Amino acid sequence: MTTDTNKFVIPIGPQHPALKEPANFEFWVDGEIVTGASVRLGYVHRGIEKGAEARTWTQNLYLMERICGICSHVHATAYTLGVEKLAGVAAPPRANAIRQLMGELERIHSHMLWLGVAAHEGGFDSLFMYSWRDRETVMDLLEKISGNKVHYSANLLGGVKFDITPELAAEIHKGLDFLEERNKFYLKVITTDETFIGRTRGIGTMTTEKAEFLGAIGPTARASGIARDIRVDAPYLIYDQFPVKVMTHTSGDLHGRFIVRINETFESIRVIREILDHLPGGELTTRVPRRIPAGEAVSRVEAPRGELLYFVASNGSEKPERVKVRTPSLCNWSTVLSLAIGLKLADMPMLLSGIDPCFSCNDRSVGLKSANQDPQIWSWEKLRQYGIEYYR
Amino acid sequence: MNLPLHPILVLLIFPGGLFLIASGLVYQWADRKLVARFQNRIGPRFIQPLADTIKLLAKEEIMPEGVHKGLFITLPIIALAAALTAGLYVPLFGFQPASSFRGDLILALYALSVLTLAMGLAGANTISSFSLVGATRTLTQLFSYEAPFLLSLLGPAIAAGTWQISEINTYAGQNLWLMIAQPIGFVVAMVGLMGKLELPPFDAPEAETEIVAGAMTEYSGRGYALFRLGKDVELVIGLTLVSAFYLGGLGNPLEFVIKTLALLLVLALLQTAFARLRIDQTVGLWWRAGALLAIIQLIAIVLGRNLGSIF
Repeated sequence: MTTDTNKFVIPIGPQHPALKEPANFEFWVDGEIVTGASVRLGYVHRGIEKGAEARTWTQNLYLMERICGICSHVHATAYTLGVEKLAGVAAPPRANAIRQLMGELERIHSHMLWLGVAAHEGGFDSLFMYSWRDRETVMDLLEKISGNKVHYSANLLGGVKFDITPELAAEIHKGLDFLEERNKFYLKVITTDETFIGRTRGIGTMTTEKAEFLGAIGPTARASGIARDIRVDAPYLIYDQFPVKVMTHTSGDLHGRFIVRINETFESIRVIREILDHLPGGELTTRVPRRIPAGEAVSRVEAPRGELLYFVASNGSEKPERVKVRTPSLCNWSTVLSLAIGLKLADMPMLLSGIDPCFSCNDRSVGLKSANQDPQIWSWEKLRQYGIEYYR
Repeated sequence: MNLPLHPILVLLIFPGGLFLIASGLVYQWADRKLVARFQNRIGPRFIQPLADTIKLLAKEEIMPEGVHKGLFITLPIIALAAALTAGLYVPLFGFQPASSFRGDLILALYALSVLTLAMGLAGANTISSFSLVGATRTLTQLFSYEAPFLLSLLGPAIAAGTWQISEINTYAGQNLWLMIAQPIGFVVAMVGLMGKLELPPFDAPEAETEIVAGAMTEYSGRGYALFRLGKDVELVIGLTLVSAFYLGGLGNPLEFVIKTLALLLVLALLQTAFARLRIDQTVGLWWRAGALLAIIQLIAIVLGRNLGSIF
């Protein structure tokens, strides 16, 4: 990327109607054609990884859930799996089944949220309003299970908090029937509406080779024909007993990404039904020691946006030595920047939302400009003082 | 129906001027409410457009750097004035136009275009990149929908044998509804009206997810309020024109309310049914489909008239 000052730059963000979270994109345009793109992230760095080192293993469960507001459960699951691996315990099968069930419900809610956002970016507000209205159904189901709509806190170290009673299972079945019917309708809309096809088909086409080269993951990669899904490639929880089919599409364009995500919603609905019908019996929790043995563990799960990776290191104490999180959005940025060139400016919001970005999730670290002699190490006192001075 | 009122009153109070602006706000509310209900939302309250306008008028107007100050202040006034001027020549609320001469159809249409032109210039006047792109798109769209829209309104004019709005209105009231006689022209006029008003799916010039508010991005306070009022007035005038020409003319206020609201209902439905078109798709649609259809309709009308006179 060059930084030619004569270029006509359209800034999108950090504050822009297209973005629901802060990030800065600069698109260099020639008329309506985009000739270059750059991204600047890091506006919502929250110091969560550092915060994790000051909390106990159990407290961190709730902190990790707050990394993302959309896929909160999958973060807690990844963290729990890592800690359980270190502690050498395995959660009971019923707990794993409930975790997987919650995770798939969450995927439905995330994909429907994305469908609405992406439609809104393309100026299709009716689809936005309808899909968000129907998304309330799956959020209500999650609320019925856990008492919360966004941060369910279903996970415990070594199990889950909430059980699925037969009455609850019946309600979930009912909700799923409605969601399946609605999603069939949305699939029909996006495959038949001429204006919508005009805005998505052939836009931002990414070949399989290019997707491999750029390291795309999740539905973005699957829309380019890469059959890569952690749920299938490295099954966790009980995905080996209740497997999912990898949904791929060969077109690689925005339209393919819509179809892949809606098909994944159907697949999630199918798996949830299967789990509900064959819910393993037994305990919900097992005992996990307060001090986790020293060691390192990596856990990988498939978040709605792609592969989510957790690295957890313990020094044998009550608190983790290090927790490293790599969220899927981070891997897909390069696809946006390289596909943007040559497209129209009007395609940019849809292309951006096409990878289902989650900015606050992927903002991990930031270099602080030194206001004193020591550029690297900031003590808490110094940081606090810096903050007070900055906002004075 | 004729109004026994002094021309100054007609211009400033009723049916032009204040009353036209007030009805613009009502129609804006009706449009927003209908779209909201179609999208399964609640929608704004009745008083919302008026409250917005008062709020904007009371706000500080920020003059951005790099603008021509005179233009920045006068363009909103020109825009609203042009829209109100157009209102003098159309049968508002079913009354005879306040002013009328042969060929006022052209004047009314171009007064409405001046509004759009003023918005485009207002965008081009600033140095904000959103405004500049918005201005380019506004003017591009102006050049694409203007010809088909004009052609579609010329259909009734040719059928009536006059270019005077009041006479076309009378002709439309006495004959078969032109919506049935000239269906293609009606469709083009409806869609042309949507393009003129920059309603979805033709809202690329003010696509909020791309260029914030388009040409209007740098406007706040009074100037923005005037532009919005101009748009609302344009909505009323556009609905009046199309319903006077194609829905059997406007003879009295009741007829006006029923016909324009019916048209607004269709407009609102069309607004909710589609995804936003890119500006290149808009231009392509107008010149490939819109202009062609309008010309076919015109040829049909001319042939019909000439053949009719032969037999």
